[in-house]
Amino acid sequence: MVPPVQVSPLIKLGRYSALFLGMAYGAKRYSFLKPRAEEERRLAAEAKKKPDEQKRIERELAEAQEDTILK
Amino acid sequence: MAQFVHNLTEEVPALVNAAVTYSKTRLATFWYYTKVELIPPTPAEIPTAIQSLKKIINSAKTSSFKQLTVKEALLNGLVASEVWMWFYVGEIIAKHGIIGYDV
Repeated sequence: MVPPVQVSPLIKLGRYSALFLGMAYGAKRYSFLKPRAEEERRLAAEAKKKPDEQKRIERELAEAQEDTILK
Repeated sequence: MAQFVHNLTEEVPALVNAAVTYSKTRLATFWYYTKVELIPPTPAEIPTAIQSLKKIINSAKTSSFKQLTVKEALLNGLVASEVWMWFYVGEIIAKHGIIGYDV
């Protein structure tokens, strides 16, 4: 087996600081993006309400005007 | 059917044993290398690290980095990219997902 290589301390320091910086960045970005995504979902749901209401009214009108005796 | 179940109960422990032995030896080799190569720097090593950093900054200031061979420069670039990838690994851990933020 090849003996394990002695890694330079600068590289070790760099690796672990990059790891912790990455974790900090990821946590910050997640907490930044989460409320924005919820707001967008809320807006999308509200924007959907009116066309849905229209469709429901149209559907009921169409059903009321149907002249079939099968009901 | 009974024969099938009988064979199964006989062969599954053997397979599980084989898997365990295989993974144990692999784990031992992995641990052997990890103990030396992947541990965080001890506080005693930090001054050495800062010295190396100063040397690099110095070589950038005095343009002595131009004396590096292309092979050395490529190797340094590879090591630097590996160190930078740990940043993305940290980000993956923090956002609990591999691709994209799960908001």
